[in-house]
Amino acid sequence: MDPTTAMYVAQGIHGLAYGMILFLVASGLTMIFGMMDILNLAHAAFFMLSAYFCYQFLSMTGNFWVALLLAPVATAFVGILMERFLLRKIHAFGLMSQLVLTVGVSLVILASVKIFWGTESLPVKIPPILSGLVVIAGMDYPIYRLFIIGMALVVLAIMALLLYKTRIGKIVRAAVSDADMVNALGINIPLVFTFVFGVGIWLAGVAGVAIAPVLTVFPGLADQMGMDAFVVVITGGFGSLAGAFIVSIIFGLLSSYGVQFVSSLAPVLMFAFMAIILAIRPMGLFGERE
Amino acid sequence: MMNKQVEWILWVGLFVILALYPKVFGIYYTNLFVTFAVFAIYSVSFNLLLGYTALFSFGHAMFFGAGGYGTALALKHIQGLPLLAAVLIGILSAVVLALILCPIVIRVTGSAFAMLHLAFGQLMYILALKLRNITGGEDGIGGFPIPPFNIPGIVSINMKAPENFYYFAIAVLGISLWVMWFFTKTPFGQIQVGVRDNAMRVDYLGFKVPQTKAVVYVVAGAFAGVAGSIFALFQNLIAADSGFSVFVSFGAVINTLVGGLGSFFGPVWGTAIMQILEEVTTRYTDRVELVAGLILILVIMFAPMGFTGFLGWARQKWLAKPAGKIGMGKIS
Repeated sequence: MDPTTAMYVAQGIHGLAYGMILFLVASGLTMIFGMMDILNLAHAAFFMLSAYFCYQFLSMTGNFWVALLLAPVATAFVGILMERFLLRKIHAFGLMSQLVLTVGVSLVILASVKIFWGTESLPVKIPPILSGLVVIAGMDYPIYRLFIIGMALVVLAIMALLLYKTRIGKIVRAAVSDADMVNALGINIPLVFTFVFGVGIWLAGVAGVAIAPVLTVFPGLADQMGMDAFVVVITGGFGSLAGAFIVSIIFGLLSSYGVQFVSSLAPVLMFAFMAIILAIRPMGLFGERE
Repeated sequence: MMNKQVEWILWVGLFVILALYPKVFGIYYTNLFVTFAVFAIYSVSFNLLLGYTALFSFGHAMFFGAGGYGTALALKHIQGLPLLAAVLIGILSAVVLALILCPIVIRVTGSAFAMLHLAFGQLMYILALKLRNITGGEDGIGGFPIPPFNIPGIVSINMKAPENFYYFAIAVLGISLWVMWFFTKTPFGQIQVGVRDNAMRVDYLGFKVPQTKAVVYVVAGAFAGVAGSIFALFQNLIAADSGFSVFVSFGAVINTLVGGLGSFFGPVWGTAIMQILEEVTTRYTDRVELVAGLILILVIMFAPMGFTGFLGWARQKWLAKPAGKIGMGKIS
């Protein structure tokens, strides 16, 4: 295969991997919003926290797989604590309070991370089986990127099964369309909220662990991702998982090919895409009118 | 009559304190007050959107930055530009930005509005960083000439002296606050409050809701531009981090919230409180983020109406006449 095609394919793989990670973060964000009407501005901070947990577990056990399993769960636990003891109490005060509260939480997480782990960037080593390249049809692919894509697809499949094939999924879908009515039917909605919030944070946590070996772990890890995830949620439509998925992939490819062709304006491409979509459909690609 | 006299005495007292302030407290606190004046204007303009029209913007910094960059670019490229013209160009650039965004943003409300502004604010931030040949990238635009405040034939005041700039900043603060206060008291200001409380009913009454929002949006943008313009003049520098950063946007939200949402002067109180807190925390610790985050959480959890809400509550609790007892006495 000639080098130009190889380069296109390699950029495509990079873009898909970034898009998948973006989707993991954005899906949690959009799910929490769709169900609880909470825009969690601390979402990216949890993403970063999970990367730090990953570093911590890895340096304690020396096993990446253990870290991959435990770090998102630990992050989700912190998220559930926040939902239970902070967010739930101010649910009645409206949007503004929630946004400001989550900003406060993200500042506290950022400061705590700096206190416990310092500000320098910490390396995360991936197991040898995931490093290096694999040759498929005469071309080299970085295994770890393929692993990220595969893992995200598995998580996506599990989520879809959970949502559409189980009783819990049915309750969650019902609660998205009318939480009060589901509550009146005798289902403990606050508990369901906490569950959904935990799953959303867990997804961000998985993304955080997945990106830790690529970018190393540092306090500013979430800056880029947090903004990108919000733009995905806005463009895809608030509360729409399908929208988040499609827009994440588009953004991933836009950013990787954008760096290739118009490197200085690559970050602007995403916003330009968002502006065009919103000018046509103010509620986002798959959003419903408010 | 008595009340009127007391009011006058208070006003005169305020003027005397403000006039003597730089002489008493020295240059450091004078500059601190100028910063306060800038962010007070900025926060009040934010509250025009949030408190009066229930439009929650998470990217108000873009108007602040537009004002700052407008003034800085004008002074850098146009020789001998007068001071007020430079400020006016700053305001104008903020207004133009608001006019461009208007058609998109006034169609949405609530969280969509907030998030759109977060995204557009970030877009402006990235543009300021990336368009290096215009905006100077990370370094921003600095070292442009600061023209004197000139009224031909009458007076020419050198604005490079901190004391003179202080008086200029106070004058701008006073005028801006008065104009915004007046704006909320006009019939149009009442429609604005109507849009906040029940947009649909305002629509039924025959007022145009989107247009009302658009006007408020532009006015709020203009005053944020004033603040940004004064800030650029004061620092003799405007950079992406001090102009367009998301923390500048959060600053307005925090000031408004700490000061109190439902009141015109709440954001002014909030700006003062946050500035004092920042002064104290940076003196004793470098964990500014931690303190800021904890303050936000505590305010939201325990004093959601902010400082003015607390004042009102305290007045009711301790200063109000015990109405219940009087009532009982009359009955018996």
